[in-house]
Amino acid sequence: MKFLVNPSKFNEIADYIFKPILILSIVLFALGLLFALYLSPDDYQQGSTVRIMYVHVPSAWLSLLTYAIMTLYSIAALAFRIPFGFIFNTAVAPIGAVFTLICIISGSLWGKPMWGTWWVWDARLTSVAILFVIYLIIIFMNFSFENRVVREKVVAIFILVGSVNLPIVKFSVDWWNTLHQPATISKLSKPSIDPSMMTPLIIMTFAFIMVGIAIAILRIKTEIISRKSYLS
Amino acid sequence: MKLLTKIIFFLYREYKLNLSGVQDILTNIIFFFVSIFIFIFSIGPDKETISLIGVGILWTLLLLSSTLSLRKFYQDDFENGNLLIIHLNGFSYGFIAILKTLSHFIFVQIPFLLSIPIACILLNISNEKLIYVFISFTIGSLILSCLGSISSSMNLMNQRNYLLGSVIVMIFSVPIIIFSVGIINLEENFNSLTNILFGILLIVFAINPWASGLCLKLSLENS
Amino acid sequence: MIIVKDLSVNRLDKKIFEKVNLALTSGNITILKGKNGSGKTTLLKAILNIIEPSFGSIYWKGKLLKKNLYDFYNHVTYISDKNSSLTKLTVKDNINIWKRFFCSNINNSQIEIALKTLKLENYLNQKVGTLSLGETKKLEFLRLIIENKKVWILDEPLSNLDESSIELMKQTFEDHVAKEGSIIFSSHQNPGIYVTEEINL
Repeated sequence: MKFLVNPSKFNEIADYIFKPILILSIVLFALGLLFALYLSPDDYQQGSTVRIMYVHVPSAWLSLLTYAIMTLYSIAALAFRIPFGFIFNTAVAPIGAVFTLICIISGSLWGKPMWGTWWVWDARLTSVAILFVIYLIIIFMNFSFENRVVREKVVAIFILVGSVNLPIVKFSVDWWNTLHQPATISKLSKPSIDPSMMTPLIIMTFAFIMVGIAIAILRIKTEIISRKSYLS
Repeated sequence: MKLLTKIIFFLYREYKLNLSGVQDILTNIIFFFVSIFIFIFSIGPDKETISLIGVGILWTLLLLSSTLSLRKFYQDDFENGNLLIIHLNGFSYGFIAILKTLSHFIFVQIPFLLSIPIACILLNISNEKLIYVFISFTIGSLILSCLGSISSSMNLMNQRNYLLGSVIVMIFSVPIIIFSVGIINLEENFNSLTNILFGILLIVFAINPWASGLCLKLSLENS
Repeated sequence: MIIVKDLSVNRLDKKIFEKVNLALTSGNITILKGKNGSGKTTLLKAILNIIEPSFGSIYWKGKLLKKNLYDFYNHVTYISDKNSSLTKLTVKDNINIWKRFFCSNINNSQIEIALKTLKLENYLNQKVGTLSLGETKKLEFLRLIIENKKVWILDEPLSNLDESSIELMKQTFEDHVAKEGSIIFSSHQNPGIYVTEEINL
């Protein structure tokens, strides 16, 4: 597992696995879209709009997951002096922002026919919007410091401080009475979702993960190269 | 004993500094009042509406005006090397952050607190609510001071994007606004909401020396 | 008192200086010489433990500096190339703040004598912002007298000073050394100040 913290090891492994992951992500996406658009049934209440879920839910999960991994890497980078954490943070923040944006847009497209409005100010939506702004601040911070060392560490500190938002996003549907429905899939209880809808959801989630990893590999590699040129 | 005198004269120094720049603080308060006027003109002088949203206006404007003075938080002391001298006088970075936060609360936020009764009269907020307004503002402005310390210490070396600091404060102050306005408007929930607000204060107060201290150290190291 | 062993500092992955050795005992004056950008300020800041060195170690009174930091800070005065007096306040206010903030045991008559020798006594009620560059620099040196500590670490103390002030600095340095104090200062040339050690970066 050393490639997760060591830039040169990461480069080796990344060259090895990039193509398989790319192919896998294309295949999974095709399969997932096929399932989501044709093979899965309509919801008896929501009709065809339920298919938005197959984009909305994976992107929401991944926006949280990306931030959580960034938090872990920030801790690793600050506490154990692992510079790869800074590289990871700089590279991955835009990916998380895009996932969050997809989540917000698809959610509001879903909300218009279901709730009759594009946007409501309930806890889940607000906290996801805040998550998006936090991602944007991270990206802007990456552009606005002259000094690289200060930039990296300040961004890492900001990520740590901003991670208080994560549990709020996750548990907002349980803590407050919101318009947004509570989580259908949780680890502790049996999922309240039919297997015919579960399959495309899982496939789409893996497709999103694979796409995310593929883009992340590309971005991390560019980041490593840009730092190499700094050295020489 | 020596430390205590040092702390007292650190605060004395801050007092002298703020006294020489007292027009800045007064300008902040004037900004606060002028924005209240503008708010009232833009929604019309209907008494019912104003008393309904008055508390929200008060909180929004307090937040905006306190972000105005953020750049002064550490920047002056950082640029003329005083931060370093204070550190060399035996104050660790985290302790400097705590003291600076306290002095910001005392010399910048308390003048605001004193001007709140006048603002309450202007916004038609009833006298019975004044005590709730005061409690929520006192706790809330302490939290704002801590957040201001964190964000302005993060942006010490930021030469390009000055507004980022204000955005950081505002994004983290969303929960404070929710609970503080709740204290005033939902009087039956007074106890629970005050406790939550106190909890947030303690969390922020605990994070502040760590985050600000680290950022101060970084900026001094690389300046 | 201060021993610097094989100190190297890298910043932004760039080597600034390498393997500097330095020993400062009481009654010594050390000068750091070097071109612009050779790392004089960086070395001084590394000695003050503001910049973390990449390699090497610094000792204070036989112990590692890091473990003994605040004791070290109790014995050291640092004057940077920045003007640290508060420009909005008067000279008198500045002196008062310093005197109390540093818990100085200097009495007023000593400060008055120092002000007279620095030729600042007429500016006492003026704001620092209205003084000239050399005068603010001299006001900075008043901190050396007020703090009254053993080790002086000075960054470019001689820039912006006229010849008579430089003579004055020479005299001050000799007095301090005679009182068993020690001085490190950086400068790109030495205008005839007696030094015991010279380090070229």
